[in-house]
Amino acid sequence: MSMHPLLTGGRGERHLLLTNEAIVRGALEAGVSLVSCYPGTPSSEVPDTFRKLGSDRYVLEYSVNEKVAFEVAAGAALAGGMALVTMKHVGLNVAADPLFTAAYSGLPGGLVLLSADDPGCHASQNEQDNRHYARAASLPCFEPASAAEAREMTREAFRMARELQQPVMLRTTTRVNHMRGPVEFGELPAERSQVPFERNPGRFVAVPATARVRHRALVTAMKKAREFAENSRFNTEYGDPGVRTGIIVSGVSRNYLADALATGGWGGRVRVLELGMTWPLPEKKLLAFLSSCDRVLVLEEGDPLLESGVRELAQRHHCAVRVEGKDELLTVQGEYSTTLLLRRLAQYLDCPCPALTSAAPAAEGLPNRPPNLCAGCSHRAVYYAVRQVFGDDAYYSNDIGCYTLGVLPPLRAADFLVCMGSSISTGSGFARVSGKPVVAFIGDSTFFHSGMTGLANALFNRHDLLVVILDNGTTAMTGHQPNPGMAQEVLGEASLHLDIEAVVRGLGVTQFARVKAFNLKGVMAALEELKDKKGVRVLLAEEPCALYARRQFRKGTTQVAEVREQGEDARRCLDTLACPAFYRDGETIAVDENLCSGCMVCLQVAPKAFKARKRG
Amino acid sequence: MSETTQKRMRIYFTGVGGQGTLTATTLLSRTALDAGLDLVAGEVHGMAQRGGVVESVLLLGGWRSPRLDPGEADIILGFEPLETLRGLPYLRPGGAVFSSSDPLPPVSVSLGNAPYPDLADIESRVRAAAGVCRFLPCRELGLQAGSVQSGNTVLLAAACASGLLPFGTDALEAAIKKYLPAKLQDVNLKALSLGAAAVAG
Repeated sequence: MSMHPLLTGGRGERHLLLTNEAIVRGALEAGVSLVSCYPGTPSSEVPDTFRKLGSDRYVLEYSVNEKVAFEVAAGAALAGGMALVTMKHVGLNVAADPLFTAAYSGLPGGLVLLSADDPGCHASQNEQDNRHYARAASLPCFEPASAAEAREMTREAFRMARELQQPVMLRTTTRVNHMRGPVEFGELPAERSQVPFERNPGRFVAVPATARVRHRALVTAMKKAREFAENSRFNTEYGDPGVRTGIIVSGVSRNYLADALATGGWGGRVRVLELGMTWPLPEKKLLAFLSSCDRVLVLEEGDPLLESGVRELAQRHHCAVRVEGKDELLTVQGEYSTTLLLRRLAQYLDCPCPALTSAAPAAEGLPNRPPNLCAGCSHRAVYYAVRQVFGDDAYYSNDIGCYTLGVLPPLRAADFLVCMGSSISTGSGFARVSGKPVVAFIGDSTFFHSGMTGLANALFNRHDLLVVILDNGTTAMTGHQPNPGMAQEVLGEASLHLDIEAVVRGLGVTQFARVKAFNLKGVMAALEELKDKKGVRVLLAEEPCALYARRQFRKGTTQVAEVREQGEDARRCLDTLACPAFYRDGETIAVDENLCSGCMVCLQVAPKAFKARKRG
Repeated sequence: MSETTQKRMRIYFTGVGGQGTLTATTLLSRTALDAGLDLVAGEVHGMAQRGGVVESVLLLGGWRSPRLDPGEADIILGFEPLETLRGLPYLRPGGAVFSSSDPLPPVSVSLGNAPYPDLADIESRVRAAAGVCRFLPCRELGLQAGSVQSGNTVLLAAACASGLLPFGTDALEAAIKKYLPAKLQDVNLKALSLGAAAVAG
């Protein structure tokens, strides 16, 4: 067993933890039995930490998608164990179906859902506010603002989930997931906490007759949850009780507010109500606060949910308080910050804003440093080949993973992308209406996530497109988590490798080719052959992720590429393949030996210009 | 702990994915924690790590926010000179900059589509803006200590030796001995002395 402090640290020990690690400790202290997930920034370090610890205290699984992860966790909680299920915000859209109904039946063991939201879109396709789900599905909701709070709230969320027998949401945002701070540990239980399952189809089998009854039970449970919120130690007030200028604040904004008040020296001029347990609203506590204020300003990133609740409460109780919230400064877009709140507070308190000056203005015209496909990335080779064969004649339906970076020139391998797994289905609809050739790109993990259903649909409805499965044997973008396509020797005994070709053929695909991504001639020949056919065609292009191969298999090649002849061919390769291991040194082109992975795709693109040589 | 009298300080780290900027941030955070300081650190993960810019922050003395805005940093630790220049607006007037002087050209530069700014120009622009400014050959000093990666420790040591932080190189030395794997300690302790010597000289 691992000797990691998260597993061995006793009560009272203090450690510097990432919030996502503190959530792990909180779950362990609660006595979690099962953890399921689909990885996604900013949630991934939670399951990855459980994986690293490798303890027999709990069972961990990387599920194929968020819906499945939620259902597995729900099953574990039905069986009486405490279950933690983790995902990024958009993942909860996938898991929404079981979420709503699980809240009706209730889950006796206790389920905590981590929804990691991403205001600012640091690594996401939208910045949706998942506090809506807590309201829509009726889940008690906690929003930590520090690593220490994350441990405590995770523990409290489990306690509540068990007591109410209802799923509870732990809602974080990127800045919170990825902050570090000192965390004081609580006690680790001797064993996991389990209650027996008692058969009760009248409750646990969701059909209309039970649903009507259970909806009533859910309303009752949420009343109880509201009482918990009224008394929660995470909902606290600070400031002089005589001050009638109020601020109500939740989530990460609590940090920005505290720092803005310290910077402005305004601590004595406002009274603050901080909400850490944010649903259901502690109405009595809020009303008492509103009644003792002339004005309140509501601070929350994202949508004006708390603000609407406060306005409704004031209206319902004929409270004369003036409520301020979202406006031109405090928008629904992006993140808040200390300086933003300084500016808004200066307005609110009608006082000058402390001067915020930089030592220097932003330097203009600096070369950017966007993320890029790595040197030796197999996706680059496949994209190059597809561009050679289809050029601008085809439309490219892309999907979510490292390979989305193929959107960048010169590969330009993405014309549209909606969400996880959409490449095949959206490509199908596009081809049907446009009548144009469509090539859909999807990675191995995304294929298992929700590409399989799109492929079944494409066959069933006789769609016409070429699907290229970019199989690099791992979930690369989020940090090399396992998926069913991963090699059996890497997965170990706990998981079973699924063969993508068998899945594809099993669904009924007959026009199929399987190639090695670095064999350019083979890839192009297969593409040429599939190009002129009609119907659903699948090309499976395989090559391990270069980063992963180096780390996992300690696989380093003994060869590197070298330019042997400067000129047109070398330039063409640099302009069309754009491998980051190439560099220009004045008029000449060279290969950086430290970056070159030895894939030798450049040799196939421009045989006259490049040659292989021994490394070193 | 939690003494409100602790000196408040905000540090901004910037570098390139794969350089070890986040590891360096965590080492300095642990150093501060063991020195009895209140702290919060923040970092950005995800897509930035495919060769993109990696930024992180360390706030000492009672701050709660895990991010910085322009003009808020007392100190910038730049692990790559172009990124130091890009991050310069985060510095408050009169703040301090410690930066590596070893460029890692972005892809647009290596492919010949954009020029890398002149190093002397970067240095003079930073010097004009900062109250304290030290550019160090971290790569060379790191190699001298035993590994390129230990160049990050050179930079941390320079900051600790400057007297601007609420702890000195002795605290960093203790953290290296406590938190780094045994096989990396000698190299990093050597890097520490080289970094400290570089700013003393």
